[in-house]
Amino acid sequence: MDVITQVVINGILLGTMYGIAAIGLSLIFGTMRIVFIAQGAVIVFFGYLCYWLFSLLGIDPYLSLIIVIPVALLLGTAFYYVLFKEAAALKDRIGSLLIAVGLMFFLENFMTVVWSPNPRAVVTSYGFVVFHLLGLNLTLTRLIGLLLALLATLGVFLFLNKTLIGTAVRATSEDVEASTLMGISPNRVNAVAMAIGIGLSAVAGINLATTYSFDPVYGFDIAIKALVALTIGGIGTMYGALLGGIFIGIIETMGSYYVGAGWAQAIVFAVFLLTLTLRPYGIFGRSSQKA
Amino acid sequence: MANQLLEVKGVDVSYGDIQVLWDVSLQVEEGTIVALVGANGAGKTTLLKTISGLLHVRKGEILFSGENLHNLKPQEIVDRGVIHVPEGRRLFASLTVKENLRLGAYIPRTRPFFAESLERVFSLFPVLKNRKDQKAGTLSGGEQQMLAIGRAVMAHPKLVMLDEPSLGLSPILVKTIFELIRTLNEQKITILLVEQNVNQALKIAHQAYVLKNGKIVMCGKGCDLLTNEEIIKAYIGERATKRKG
Amino acid sequence: MKNKSNFSEQSGLTKYRSGLFKSLIPSHFKRSHLNIVITVLVIIVFGTIPFYIDVDNSFFAYYLFICFCYIALSQGWNLVAGYTGQISLGGHAFFALGAYTTAIIWLHDLTKTWYYFDPVVMVISGLVPVIFAIIIGTPLLSRLRGDYFSFGTLAAAEVLRIVIIKGGSFTQGAMGLRLPAASFSSMSPYYWTGFLLAIFATATVYLITRSRIGLALRALNEDEMSAASHGVHILFYKIFAFSVSAFLAGICGSLFAYYLFIVSPLGIMNLNWMFYPILICVLGGNGTIAGPIIGAFIVAAIFSYGDVIVGQIHPMITGILIILVMKFMPTGIMGLKDKIFARR
Repeated sequence: MDVITQVVINGILLGTMYGIAAIGLSLIFGTMRIVFIAQGAVIVFFGYLCYWLFSLLGIDPYLSLIIVIPVALLLGTAFYYVLFKEAAALKDRIGSLLIAVGLMFFLENFMTVVWSPNPRAVVTSYGFVVFHLLGLNLTLTRLIGLLLALLATLGVFLFLNKTLIGTAVRATSEDVEASTLMGISPNRVNAVAMAIGIGLSAVAGINLATTYSFDPVYGFDIAIKALVALTIGGIGTMYGALLGGIFIGIIETMGSYYVGAGWAQAIVFAVFLLTLTLRPYGIFGRSSQKA
Repeated sequence: MANQLLEVKGVDVSYGDIQVLWDVSLQVEEGTIVALVGANGAGKTTLLKTISGLLHVRKGEILFSGENLHNLKPQEIVDRGVIHVPEGRRLFASLTVKENLRLGAYIPRTRPFFAESLERVFSLFPVLKNRKDQKAGTLSGGEQQMLAIGRAVMAHPKLVMLDEPSLGLSPILVKTIFELIRTLNEQKITILLVEQNVNQALKIAHQAYVLKNGKIVMCGKGCDLLTNEEIIKAYIGERATKRKG
Repeated sequence: MKNKSNFSEQSGLTKYRSGLFKSLIPSHFKRSHLNIVITVLVIIVFGTIPFYIDVDNSFFAYYLFICFCYIALSQGWNLVAGYTGQISLGGHAFFALGAYTTAIIWLHDLTKTWYYFDPVVMVISGLVPVIFAIIIGTPLLSRLRGDYFSFGTLAAAEVLRIVIIKGGSFTQGAMGLRLPAASFSSMSPYYWTGFLLAIFATATVYLITRSRIGLALRALNEDEMSAASHGVHILFYKIFAFSVSAFLAGICGSLFAYYLFIVSPLGIMNLNWMFYPILICVLGGNGTIAGPIIGAFIVAAIFSYGDVIVGQIHPMITGILIILVMKFMPTGIMGLKDKIFARR
């Protein structure tokens, strides 16, 4: 019984990483109808950033957040204005998907060439501290990762619900035309959404770097799982995305435990396909969301 | 020469290749209620969308207080005080009543008046005050329409364009809404009213235009058109006029 | 001349759909004559290349071979996108199924043929993906719209990838299946087969679009209401289009299995096989017949000649290229041609 609980707990911890990636995807998709499939590659990119800040400058990965998050917000804004502005305005789905793919190809290849395809991980002196609690093993890094994810989620929640711009983002996700009639600038809102999406990627990236080893092509895997998490959780709800991520995380760890890592992936996708056919709007999604 | 707040001059509008408005002209005098009536698909919503900047003119001009409106972005048009309340209300269902109203005063120009506008909306629509923390999607049809109009009031508007406010409402509510429109007008808000309920619209309108297949086919004083035989035949029906008198 | 209408539904996918059929209807009698002349000329030129170029030692011939394969894949994707109005992200699954079928049949000598390049095997390799297309397509096409459909195809393809990797001795997992390379004699049969495949693919898609099925689907696609009331029939034709694309991709996969002699997840289920046809169709011009052909020649040029020049950074180039095309030329080359000749 203890082992199963351990597996589930690990799943939850893994899942929050997918969860915050999914929240980012949800924000970007909600406002601009863009499937930002480069999300995974961006997460890995920030993982590398964290790694290099640590290896070359000795900056603790969690402290590096202070540097990395503002960079992420700027990068997100830049991505929007340089890459996605036109496609978002035209609601060009193929176009925006392809641009995201282009970005993904570019990033992955860039990282492979510049930083080599060897797997990396950030190993801090305290990284292996393990807490033994109620018969469970909880690694410090994973706990901090969980904490970061929860803080990030809280931050986004507060932003969306307590600020005017955040409310504008929610409104735009629901109905772009109506929000434009309020005088809300779609570009502003979209840029903010993308900035936050990339900001969340940065958090996920740091989480990734400190908890797992990663290489340049790991991103696609994460992106797909985040996508799955988003669809299962329901596009348009934030807590849905997070819970979807946790759900995926648990399935993955349980699957790995019972049938091995390879089949675990297949199970994740099979569950996804099942959800799609049975409940196309996800478990939490609202049917008011226009796909 | 009376003060023309809004002037639409010879406007052509197309959706892609398909032209929907041909040489449309109308004027809205400040402080009045102008009705734009016509059958489904005549192009009324298209015209409103063009004025509010969601669509582009192929040809022609739109002037607001003498200033060119047709090449401005929607946000800038809202900033000038032209507010479009879209067909079907288009409220943000997942946001609360208060949040919807908050967004009505999104433009910086309106923010200093926020508290004042909110009071004004709540006094016009007391039921909204009671429901201010409820999600907009849970309101009844009539309440939603009130919220939509309230949202427009929050923007401290000079001109409010209403697209089919009576749609889907019971006759009693329709009456209430039209009374509200009159009240707003008395509070110095100019109104451009698009309606399929021709009877009610012509009753409160000072001036009216009839749009058919993308062209203005008739215009005149509201009361004149109400007794016009063609209008009666096409849009109102003999029985209705006999009933309402 | 950018379309400034902020919320015009004419852009994006809807424009894609209406473009498909607009360009196929000859607007002028002479135009269709011109098209026939061009088609015949093209066929003659490419058909006779092996007679005056040494196919075995020519990089150009290899390049053309790649072009033909991409044409077949792209016409298939084009058909699905135009007919179902949905973006399939699972093309690499069909391609892989075709390749693996061929490899497995060959290795286990199931058809008892002593020569490779067996047309029967190729046809079977085309049919296996069709089965997959029907199994996956029926629930996805009937119930899902838009992005959900795309995610679904992607997920289905990834499930297939895992099944292949875990396939034990049947598929040799991640290592893949190796075929006796000694059988390779000359480039010519590849060239011809590829050429025929490209013609077959183009002709098939052309005929389908001009048939009654095509016109009916076009009408129904543009009118959702009427589509709903026709229910089952629409679904059948959508699955049909999906299956045709699967068939084409499968045969192409088979051809590639014969060419590469190694069939592995990394090489055959590579995402490039999924994205390049999309890039080709978009670059060449949404929903036209000539578009994928032009697009294929350009994209294949960049990646075969580009590989030689730029080597390992070519995915970066792909990435930048895709972005540039989508930003500045979203209607593709045929779209540009339209604008230049102001066909409207």
